[in-house]
Amino acid sequence: MRIHSRGVRAALVAVLVAAGSMLASAADVLKIGVVAPQTGPGAESGRFQVQGAKLAADEINKAGGVLGRQLELVIEDDQTTNPGAVLAFSKLAGDKDIPAFIGSIRSTQVHAMAPDILKTGKPVMIGGTDPQLTHMGNSWLFRCRPNDTYSARVISDFGVNTLKLRKWAIVHSTDAFGTNGMKNLAEALKKQGIDPVLVQGYTNNSQDFTPVALAVKQSGADVMGTYMTFEPDQGIFAKQLRQLGVKTGWVGSPTTVTTTALKLAGPALYGSYAVVDFNRDSSPEAKAFAAKYEAAYKSAPDIFASWAYDAVHVLALAINNAKSLDPKAIREAILAVKGYKGAEGTYNFDQNGDGLHGYNIVKNDEGKIVFDKHIDFPD
Amino acid sequence: MGIALQLLFTGLGVGSIYALVALGFVLIYRATNVVNFAQGDFAMLGAFAMVVLCIDIGIPYGVGIAITIVAMAVIGALFNLGVYYPLRHRSFLPVIISTIGASILLENGVLAAYGPRPQSLPGMFETQGFSVGPVFFDSQYLLIVGVGILLFGLQYLFFEHTILGKKMQATSQDKEMASLLGIPVATMIMLTFVYSAVLGGIAGILVAPILFVSVSMGSSIALKAFAASIIGGFGDVRGAIVGGLALGVVETFGAAYISVPYKDAFAFLVLFFFLLVRPQGIFGEKISEKA
Repeated sequence: MRIHSRGVRAALVAVLVAAGSMLASAADVLKIGVVAPQTGPGAESGRFQVQGAKLAADEINKAGGVLGRQLELVIEDDQTTNPGAVLAFSKLAGDKDIPAFIGSIRSTQVHAMAPDILKTGKPVMIGGTDPQLTHMGNSWLFRCRPNDTYSARVISDFGVNTLKLRKWAIVHSTDAFGTNGMKNLAEALKKQGIDPVLVQGYTNNSQDFTPVALAVKQSGADVMGTYMTFEPDQGIFAKQLRQLGVKTGWVGSPTTVTTTALKLAGPALYGSYAVVDFNRDSSPEAKAFAAKYEAAYKSAPDIFASWAYDAVHVLALAINNAKSLDPKAIREAILAVKGYKGAEGTYNFDQNGDGLHGYNIVKNDEGKIVFDKHIDFPD
Repeated sequence: MGIALQLLFTGLGVGSIYALVALGFVLIYRATNVVNFAQGDFAMLGAFAMVVLCIDIGIPYGVGIAITIVAMAVIGALFNLGVYYPLRHRSFLPVIISTIGASILLENGVLAAYGPRPQSLPGMFETQGFSVGPVFFDSQYLLIVGVGILLFGLQYLFFEHTILGKKMQATSQDKEMASLLGIPVATMIMLTFVYSAVLGGIAGILVAPILFVSVSMGSSIALKAFAASIIGGFGDVRGAIVGGLALGVVETFGAAYISVPYKDAFAFLVLFFFLLVRPQGIFGEKISEKA
């Protein structure tokens, strides 16, 4: 068929364009941006993050999706670097169809993205545990993990009151995560009337930890609180520490009990304790998540997967409650989430955007992670 | 005193790692006048080959090492053919960019093929080491220092006392003159790449039990090894050894007695100092022979 009239042709084009845009706006997918490390030292954790998020998205889609639309995760690689994270976020932010994002688990990268997030003005679920992130006037960050004031309070509470140890050393990475963890732990210890005998920083990707291990040994500390960012660093440190005969007690940040850290450090980490936001024995929801994750990916989940899983669920719940993709409406709906039982714990969002307010304590019992207790704070 | 001895031992151990990788830098630099920025990735490849062979497939450690060394030789030859040979008549810049590209390709290739999870490789010995007084001797570090000394010795004998070694030296000093003398220059350069890849692979096998096996393990060592080469002098294999050991000791002592977070800064401060005061490095380059 040939179309002669210019008017008819124009009308056809208009109809097609209209149909196209209708298709686009009423499309049956709802895109969620995900910033995750797929290369660089954190690539391993990125795989867990993406798998956790996908598991949640699949569940939500099977249950009918969000506002009747199927979730689609758009993943950008942050290369485990700050510039990479900024680039990844700005790529995603450029897509007008994305109403909300899953951000990084690394505080330093969330800090790097924060100015762009503020400019974009859309909700970003984060896993970085630097308390500052939700206390610096950026109202678009929502944390799906307990922040480090809680990990520090739980570390010091457990070490001082349960283990009855009072001579503390703090070992920390000098990045944002490690430095802030150190500050919070020092503060929490101070409230218990304790001044650490050693505060020792190190830079990420150090090849040798002998000077750090010797400093711990010389300090005579009987317990050590650690904030270490990467598992290989933790593994090298743990091995060298034990080789030098240091038998100090150890209560570490969540990195201490990731699957990779356990495998790399082996016996060097036996007997250590760690605070961890995700533990499969801490609640029925955690157990159910772990079972589903194992069924889907044939490997055990850890914190890198559980927070992303919860983040997607909380976001979906909030968007459904808001009945809108308006960023402000989603924000209000996230802050209104109370009593949602996720894999990491029960979410009660406060006005700062913090969803969780406590930690589990676990013990490394000859390479097996054993749930010890959950410590929650009301404030 | 005990602490200083412990630091000295560790510093020398770490320094030997740098020296092993730096040696590869220096050899290729002498043969081709370019720095091979994929040298650290040779170590990464060697370590991953060991994990695949000895952990995943489960063949004995010794056989794994033999296969890995052969595989590294093949990789060195392919590297020469693919990365250096097509650009051999160009200036040094395209070749350097080419090696950087190869480095990115290798790291991400392994990442894609093997996944991002860091792996551990057990050491060659059952025991982790032993203590003498206050000093703990890590068996793997001892092995690294031992293999390092052995390799440096063999290399010295090879370059100074064999015809092939002398041909390779002649090639590195003046390619035109060497080819006029009937030395097959392309073959000599090929051999240099093969040897450097094997050397890198051995470094990887040796450091894997200490640093673990991850895609980025090579580049983090290579940066220090590169600094070590400059400090020691790019033109001389002794430079790589002395530069590497010096760097390892300086940064370990600096970290222990001044500041741990500034550990890397000490290494690069030494580098700055040398660039300012003695840019040709401790041993210098045999410029006069080239002129």
